[in-house]
Amino acid sequence: MTPERFTRRDVAPAAWRGEVAAALADGWRFAGLWAEAAGGDGPALRAAFHRHGERLLLAAPAARDTIVDLVPAAGWDEREAHDLHGAAFAGHEPLRALVDHDAPTPQWTVPVEGRDVFQVAVGPTHAGVIESGHFRFHVVGERVLHLDLRLFYKHRGLERAAEGRPVTDALRHAERACGADAVANAIAFAHAVEDARGLVPTPDLARARTLLAELERLYNHLNDLSAICAGVGFAPGTMAFAGLKERAMRLNATLTGHRFLHGSVRVGGSGLAISAPAASELRSALAELRAETRRAWRELQFAGSVQDRFDGVGVLALEDARRLGAVGPAARAAGLAIDARTDAPRLAYRELVPAVPEQPGGAVAAPVEVRGAGLPVGVDLLDELLAAPLEPSVAEPGGASRRDGLALVESPRGQTLCAVALGDGGVVDRLHLRTGSYANWPVLAHVVPGNLLPDFPLINKSFELCYACADR
Amino acid sequence: MFVLLRQLQRLRRDAALTAPRRRGSLALRHIDVGSCNACEHELTAVSSPYYDMARHGLGIVASPRHADVLLVTGPVTTRMREPLLKAYESMPEPRTVAALGDCAMGCGVLGDVAALAPPLDELLPVAVRIPGCPPSPDAIAAHLLAYLHGEEPPA
Ligand code: SF4
Repeated sequence: MTPERFTRRDVAPAAWRGEVAAALADGWRFAGLWAEAAGGDGPALRAAFHRHGERLLLAAPAARDTIVDLVPAAGWDEREAHDLHGAAFAGHEPLRALVDHDAPTPQWTVPVEGRDVFQVAVGPTHAGVIESGHFRFHVVGERVLHLDLRLFYKHRGLERAAEGRPVTDALRHAERACGADAVANAIAFAHAVEDARGLVPTPDLARARTLLAELERLYNHLNDLSAICAGVGFAPGTMAFAGLKERAMRLNATLTGHRFLHGSVRVGGSGLAISAPAASELRSALAELRAETRRAWRELQFAGSVQDRFDGVGVLALEDARRLGAVGPAARAAGLAIDARTDAPRLAYRELVPAVPEQPGGAVAAPVEVRGAGLPVGVDLLDELLAAPLEPSVAEPGGASRRDGLALVESPRGQTLCAVALGDGGVVDRLHLRTGSYANWPVLAHVVPGNLLPDFPLINKSFELCYACADR
Repeated sequence: MFVLLRQLQRLRRDAALTAPRRRGSLALRHIDVGSCNACEHELTAVSSPYYDMARHGLGIVASPRHADVLLVTGPVTTRMREPLLKAYESMPEPRTVAALGDCAMGCGVLGDVAALAPPLDELLPVAVRIPGCPPSPDAIAAHLLAYLHGEEPPA
């Protein structure tokens, strides 16, 4: 199957809202919005949509009206485009500060008033080995009324730093946006560049990348299950899954020389070679890991005190998941069938059926189940991918080169969008990365109110979002 | 639960961890000042059953006020500069700063100059340097133990 290229539609600023509304009515789903320096007054605006593997790019020479009422999922995107690129959006009121940390508190919090309402401020540093970010809970007693997130403490300006750099350099910026989703980010970047250059992956290239992506998912989901057990203080589970994660990471190191698979994705090809004996060794190691993971997972399901804690907290309603643009395990747990792997002609997923919970409900139990049930599916897929030895491969020419490239990849945390604009001499003019974590952070903030403050760590861990790849 | 505990028991046997050579302990406080999150994963792994740093007296504490060592990950972003300095100020003396990973050591840092503060060793006195991107759990433990026992850092 040759990957379809995306459709680009140029629109006048005045027609922006109408075009977005028309796209939504046609069944397109929002995938991201970002600003791009244009040389005129103010930045140009882009928005990406997807529909069963097709992608649509709307491009306007300038921003004018908000679309946040049509697409609530675009809330953070517009705030970021404002803070980082000075884009203005009429009708987005109030346009709260997101990336801008100089703004005074009332400009980024939602006023919550009433009797006995008080605020609990947590972070940016936390009492453990946790990334930096700030949470401001508005509570009455222990009940959370509202949660304001303030992230971007780790903003390193990676997108800006990648501008003007050659593609191989920019790849490192996309990859290191997040150490634990590095493969997904790097594949998304590679796909976007290859999309722009009119390159098509060979079956071997698609297989190599799918293999890396699934190895990344495997160790991440094991890590998530360990973290969720830690969230309820269930030490045997925390340690058992940490041990399984360690084994998965050692396999990564054996295969690529790096425990996190960093540096294993290239643009335009793949250097990954697996001989027949190495492939069969890896398959038997994975089979062992699968059996032990299954046993540990079953035990977790029969640990009544743990399961009790998972029920009824952190409920994400299906309608909210859709409206707020939830992605990844959290969205699937709510019953929303969204997984970029099911429409991935550039990768080797074919007939993949992603795991969904028996009873979609969106409480903490459901995303836990999506991961637990997804583990054997992922290992089976890895086993299939390793059925034949793998040779290094190079992408093939398949179309004319153009400036823009767009790609969607399913990271362990959900759908990740990468958009590139290539300039003269193969340098990157613009890089934009909208990761699964970025999409889900506002969803998390929506889910928490109504729950008890002490349940926050558990709810947070059921999403297991990354700060680094949201902050960039 | 018993299956999990048995699994852990077997894992401990397979890991064949060495007995600690000497006594002593370090209370570590972690602060992320802009990492990519991989350094955090490896630091967490040091407490996992395959490494179990607690048996050497290395433990993570919840507050800088309880810490001997401030373990810093990531290049310093402008936004994390203040929290970093505050964490250091809150520590009782004697106190030590350890740079965990290449970014914290100021090597090969990616990012926009406008978003980054001066490197860690221009802001605080760094006594322990743990190279790697990210350093392996073994390397993290080895550097901290060498510091604890006043030995040369591993090559
Ligand atoms: S040293 Fe490497 S692994 Fe650690 S934060 Fe920096 S880029 Fe990430």
